[in-house]
Amino acid sequence: MSSEPLLRVENLKTQFFTDAGTVRAVDGISFEVYEGEIVGLVGESGAGKSVASMSLLRLVERPGEIVGGEVTYKGETVFGLEEGPDGELREREEMLSNEAVRERIRGNEIAVIFQDPMESLNPVFTVGGQLREVIELNRGLSKEAARAEAIEMLREVGIPDPEERYEEYPHQFSGGMRQRVLIAMALACEPSLIVADEPTTALDVTVEGQIIDLVDELQAKYDTSFIWVTHDMGVVAEICDRVNVMYLGEIVEQAPVDELFHDTKHPYTRALLNSMPRPDRTVAELEPIEGVMPEAISPPSGCRFHPRCPDAREVCRRVHPEPEEVARADSHPHNAACLKHDAFDVGYDGSAPLEGDPRTTAGGSGGEGGE
Amino acid sequence: MGLLRYTGYRLLQAIPVLIGISVITFLLANLGPGDPVSLMLHGQEHDQELIRAIEQRYGLDKPLHERYVTYMSGLFRGDLGQSIHHNRPVADLMLDRIGPTLLLVLSAYAFALVTAIPLGVLAAKRRNEPTDHVSRLVALFGVSTPSFWIGIVLILIFAVTLGWFPSSGLIYPWRPPSTYRSIDGHLELYYESFRHLLLPMIALGTLQMATIMRVERTQMIESLQGEYVKLARAYGVSERTILRKHAFQVAQLPIITIVGLNLSTAIGGAVLIETVFNINGMGRLFINAISQNDYQLVMGITMMLGTLFVVGVIITDISYAYIDPRVTYGETD
Repeated sequence: MSSEPLLRVENLKTQFFTDAGTVRAVDGISFEVYEGEIVGLVGESGAGKSVASMSLLRLVERPGEIVGGEVTYKGETVFGLEEGPDGELREREEMLSNEAVRERIRGNEIAVIFQDPMESLNPVFTVGGQLREVIELNRGLSKEAARAEAIEMLREVGIPDPEERYEEYPHQFSGGMRQRVLIAMALACEPSLIVADEPTTALDVTVEGQIIDLVDELQAKYDTSFIWVTHDMGVVAEICDRVNVMYLGEIVEQAPVDELFHDTKHPYTRALLNSMPRPDRTVAELEPIEGVMPEAISPPSGCRFHPRCPDAREVCRRVHPEPEEVARADSHPHNAACLKHDAFDVGYDGSAPLEGDPRTTAGGSGGEGGE
Repeated sequence: MGLLRYTGYRLLQAIPVLIGISVITFLLANLGPGDPVSLMLHGQEHDQELIRAIEQRYGLDKPLHERYVTYMSGLFRGDLGQSIHHNRPVADLMLDRIGPTLLLVLSAYAFALVTAIPLGVLAAKRRNEPTDHVSRLVALFGVSTPSFWIGIVLILIFAVTLGWFPSSGLIYPWRPPSTYRSIDGHLELYYESFRHLLLPMIALGTLQMATIMRVERTQMIESLQGEYVKLARAYGVSERTILRKHAFQVAQLPIITIVGLNLSTAIGGAVLIETVFNINGMGRLFINAISQNDYQLVMGITMMLGTLFVVGVIITDISYAYIDPRVTYGETD
């Protein structure tokens, strides 16, 4: 892997300004994606995964706004703020304009596979026509060439009789088939990075398996990098190289996938793994994470996970941990934002455990905020 | 089901509807107070001999059900009967008058669509901005103001006070009036025709414009929030293309329904507008027929309006199936 990442995200902050207050949906996350990697972005719904991935393309809709941080892609500043002479934050001069992001980045450099295959295709245009339009736009091909390419891509993602299916409308396709079309659309633009935003969540498990195999196969063939947004640890284990675990707008653990599973450093990640259904465990043995994720409008003080954390101590309520390197694996750091590690010298060991330890009340209703 | 079969099926379905319309109208017209004969015989109401002769001539002496059967059998042969008041075939009278009404209604719709669709799209695009608020006020005014009042105000301002437009009558581009012989060339005829048409067209079209504009706005807002719009944005499609193509196409489907179903409302409105602007159209013919108890004429016009409505609905359904690929012709799941 080259030393310079394809995508570097530093301290990215995206907020939504609602009547009820400011929602800090993404609150200072940093991660990198290197060429050819599949990087996971994992967390419960509401953790800010989708907002984070849309922020990379500057596709946050009002009332949301990217308020801080830096997104660098292939050395170009997709987003970046600096302090002006008046002390106010302003956009950096080298930051790409809206037009440049739209024309040079979206689609042809970073493509998105959307979450909902049923709604993401326009119902009144043919599947082929929609593919062709995107290919024409992002690869600068003629109508005819784009059409041929679209049919070729439909074949590539395993749609039978692509010539005939080209003329059909989205409602004539099944959910799995539509997801294949969306994958074809992303790959057809020949991007260097694909953001897959929970692409299998809306699908049946059997279809999910097929789609994941397809992506794995195509990723190897095209050597495209992926950001894989999901809440499913099983999917993460299957395809990701490195993983970022998000909780309430923050990345709480960051590690290569094997390290994350075998040497888990953050209690939230552990809780996610323990709550995952597995064939070798009965339902009674599942350990749901107690409580629900608080709202990002008024996050808890200190460590945001402390109200639900089995390892929480008094200090966790006061001190907010930023991710620190707590181990190293294959030249990649293993970062975690948990005060119990020695890298944080804030007196965790001497601190008293929090009263009302959630573990003592375990066995109640599973309050995990599922999809 | 194929398009042809579907159309045939829908036309067959229309027959009972039209029979129902004929029964109700026939009963309402004939059971209402007053009778055409005594109205006709101004001052000679006591001449029993004359009354009987007239009643016999028009078949009014027969019992109601017999008269209905006679009427319907005529209708199936394409004979709409004879107007008592005008003493002319009903079909001829209607043919004479349908031109102005169609011209008025169709141009009012053209006006409504041409103004409402861009305004609705603009209001959706600039949601909650001044443009949107102004369009909301215009729409509120449009739906809550009676068309005849708008007509009178337009006459007062633009015809009486400013004198820019004529206050009454229509000129038909296909039939130059004898008084306008001086007009040379078609251009001037069209211009005169348009000048006469403008005020009644606006008066009649405002309600449709307001309705279509609001629906267009709502549909565009919904469409612009669609996942397919997010996808288009993520693939670098420009906002302009999204607005004009991706979001727009989806948003137009309900507009077709409104236009199709409101056609009869618009014809109803034309009755009033024709009165205000002194236009000799179907509407005035209808009003007079009702006040004169001209049974055959009332029946004839009602049947025509009923048929127009039914055909309008069928055309709406068929065009829907054409435009929205998800709609199939009468197939059930």
